[in-house]
Amino acid sequence: MRVTRERMRVTRERMRVTRDSAHAVAPRTVRVHSRGRGALIGAGIGVVVILGLFAIDAWAPSLFASPLPTRAQDGLTLGLSVLIESLPFVVLGLLLSIVVQVWVPAGLIERWMPRRAWARRAVLSLLGMFLPVCECGNVPLARGLLIRGFSVPETMTFLIAAPIVNPIVILTTHQAFGFDGGILVARLVGGYLIANLIGWLYSRHPDPDALLTERFRAECAHDDHLHGGRVRQSLELFVAELRAVMPALVLGSALAGAIQVIVPRDALLAIGANPVWSILAMMALAMTVALCSNVDAFFALSFASTFTPGSIVAFLIVGPLVDVKMLALLRTTFTTRALAGVVAIVLAAAFVIGVGVNLGG
Amino acid sequence: MLRESSSPARGRALGTRWLGVGLAACVAVVTLGLAVTGRIGLYINPDAAWWAVSMSIVVLIGAIASCAVPVTGHTHHHAEHDAHAEGVEEPVPEPVPEPEPDELPRRSAPAVVATVVGGTVASAFVVCSLVLPPASLSAELALSRSSGGAPQLASSATLALASSGDTSAFGIGDWASVIATTTDPSSFVGDTATLTGFVGPGEGDDDFWLTRLVIVHCVIDAQAASVPVADAGWSDRFDVGQWVEVTGTFTQDSAGALVLEPVSVAAVSEPGDPYEY
Repeated sequence: MRVTRERMRVTRERMRVTRDSAHAVAPRTVRVHSRGRGALIGAGIGVVVILGLFAIDAWAPSLFASPLPTRAQDGLTLGLSVLIESLPFVVLGLLLSIVVQVWVPAGLIERWMPRRAWARRAVLSLLGMFLPVCECGNVPLARGLLIRGFSVPETMTFLIAAPIVNPIVILTTHQAFGFDGGILVARLVGGYLIANLIGWLYSRHPDPDALLTERFRAECAHDDHLHGGRVRQSLELFVAELRAVMPALVLGSALAGAIQVIVPRDALLAIGANPVWSILAMMALAMTVALCSNVDAFFALSFASTFTPGSIVAFLIVGPLVDVKMLALLRTTFTTRALAGVVAIVLAAAFVIGVGVNLGG
Repeated sequence: MLRESSSPARGRALGTRWLGVGLAACVAVVTLGLAVTGRIGLYINPDAAWWAVSMSIVVLIGAIASCAVPVTGHTHHHAEHDAHAEGVEEPVPEPVPEPEPDELPRRSAPAVVATVVGGTVASAFVVCSLVLPPASLSAELALSRSSGGAPQLASSATLALASSGDTSAFGIGDWASVIATTTDPSSFVGDTATLTGFVGPGEGDDDFWLTRLVIVHCVIDAQAASVPVADAGWSDRFDVGQWVEVTGTFTQDSAGALVLEPVSVAAVSEPGDPYEY
């Protein structure tokens, strides 16, 4: 692993050199003319496609009067409403992620970090406050941190804390719940503590780099894939990150809609009032619906009238950290064993916090 | 996109764009279409429409600008490992111009299948949203969502306003929370109201529940709010789910609970804004 680290460093140096020389050397300007025309044609195609989509959106619905059975239509309506509500937040996260990855000068974040391991983790877990990226955007960002040379436990602390200790999440959770039942406070403090607990536990691991997948280590070795100027890099990230996030977002929204239509309310109501079972049920729900942490508070709100506050807190803690979508994203970077440990810790801690809120309330 | 020479590479590039920028652009177009035609309230609270609309515009600008950038190894590469994670991805992932591509482990067949299925389902969902007309939730589902109680959102502000005597602007949601939370029902006896909602079944044939969905942010958090209407024999005249406009006066029933005594109950068609916010 030390070898890999060294290769990462060398790669970074090489990147810097390549980039600098690319700016200085003349041959690049020769291609600018043809590239400029290509860009115009590409943008022209983009405009035409978008106008085409508007045309379809305007005229196609008149061809289908009432095409779907009621239940499917309700599922579509619910899923689409989650999608329309959450897309703006995901786009905001994406924009910020681009700013951090492309526009913040190298070394700026590192310079502000304390030296001691626990203090670094404590600060990193608050970094999410200043990098308001949703859980999906965090994974690419965390990979960037690893490549920049942050240790595995430090990066993990950031990854676990950032989806919860995050300005947009605080805002939306506050909008949904206010300070009722201590839900907002329990979510924030709980998320922060769990992240630092996990960071501390894994810092005691004899070989933290073994927590990373072979694949990611291999990728670190030639991670010089950003090309051209900053605008170009930003657009490439825009394409790549949307590709990574959108299918999961659409599937998550559709699933959330489907669950609302398929699972009978009565069944949920029966579980919802029990102080222990309600927590387990909401944790299971959190792992399966895979909502973005920016909007899951709105979703949880629909359960607030029937479920115990502790179970809502457990839902809001588990969902952003270890839902199916997040685990799939994390699996790119961390080994299955490492993730199993994280899941066990998060579930246990969320359960304890949930029971605490129920007893305290 | 423009510099891609071999067709598999071009297919991958298009797949990457469709599942990322393409899906986002479709949702943005749907959002803007709804906002322009004034129907955004069918999905989200219109108060938040400015936010959804401005971010949709950002998506479209980004989508158009991104078409000016040819897809390079970076996009494939990056999209590949991220998507590997979520198990949703285009079929033949292979970083094209990267050095030493053989160093990256190949993906398993189940992962590829999951990718194709997930991508297809996500595409189908978004295309349906684009092509099908917007719709409100069915009364059937709305009724199954009513847990019997008033919406959670009953605020003390509503009650304070109600006690001050100005209930003229109250909707069904406001009245439902007043009825559920007031400690002095008699103070509302004699208040008149004109309310529009759909018919929900009451306990017997003597009254029905005038129902409407109340939304905080988007339709998924919709909660049913109901006001009891004393109208003997209603089931002969209205089906459950029929939209009606009720004008009447609040009175107390034999148990002391507030109930709307109608002067007129008229069938109407579903309003363009079927929810309260």
